[in-house]
Amino acid sequence: MGAVPFDRSVLKVNQVILMAGLAAGYLVSLARPLAAIALPLFAAMMLHGAAVPPQSLPRVLYLKVLKPRGLVRPRVAIEDPAPHRFAQLVGGVFLAAGSVLALAGLYVAAWTLGWIVIALAFLNFAFDVCVGCIMYAQLVRAGVLPQRRSAA
Amino acid sequence: MLALAPLLAVTVIAVAAVALRAGQARQRRHLVGHVVGVSAERPSILYFSGAACTVCHTAQRPALERLAPELEGRVEVREIDVAEQPALARSFKVMSLPTTVVVDAGGRARAVNAGFASAALLRTQLRDAGLLPVAEGSAA
Repeated sequence: MGAVPFDRSVLKVNQVILMAGLAAGYLVSLARPLAAIALPLFAAMMLHGAAVPPQSLPRVLYLKVLKPRGLVRPRVAIEDPAPHRFAQLVGGVFLAAGSVLALAGLYVAAWTLGWIVIALAFLNFAFDVCVGCIMYAQLVRAGVLPQRRSAA
Repeated sequence: MLALAPLLAVTVIAVAAVALRAGQARQRRHLVGHVVGVSAERPSILYFSGAACTVCHTAQRPALERLAPELEGRVEVREIDVAEQPALARSFKVMSLPTTVVVDAGGRARAVNAGFASAALLRTQLRDAGLLPVAEGSAA
């Protein structure tokens, strides 16, 4: 696809939902382990968003509610959305793995993965450091992912 | 025990960050002071970038553009897309994007920056290497 106009506010909304939802799930799970249901729920949200970006829940929320009401302003940049999509896929895979661990009763390991996702979402939200995007670049460089034409 | 999960997550990320830092330090040791095998008729800044690198587009390129008037005729900026030239990126042990390498006219690497390098930092590195006059240029 290459670089296209890309609204970074969609990413920010996604990160806020993820951080708030997972942190809340974790806090509740300290008393009620069943709250680990947050892990598969957010895994599904992330994986669905990576598979079908136009239908992702944060994007729909942003475009239908937050943006029209002026609650979140657009931040359009010219960039390739593929790395962000990959980062979302990585987050979804981490949460899916956490869900499996939670199912196996390994709650500490499960929520460790959950907190890694929270921390990485925070890094991206606060400092625009997208670790998944860095991984994407490394994998392209190593030839694991297909080479794309730079639109830089 | 569950209360330890955030601590464990931060530990995992910290270990990964330390490993990345160690890799970047190895990269500097590998390059700085050595002839790096790029043809150089005049000093250059090798700027490793890629379509996937957000910071490259939003920060590094604008920093290089701010510096460009001071470099004109003295220092060449060469942008290298790591996806298009993976062998070159490997030879420079590029671990993160952007990466900038200051190379003198003899083809010797004088400074390596893994991650964003501000115009001020690059200007200082060029001046320290004697590749840019000290009196010229403005604050970043």
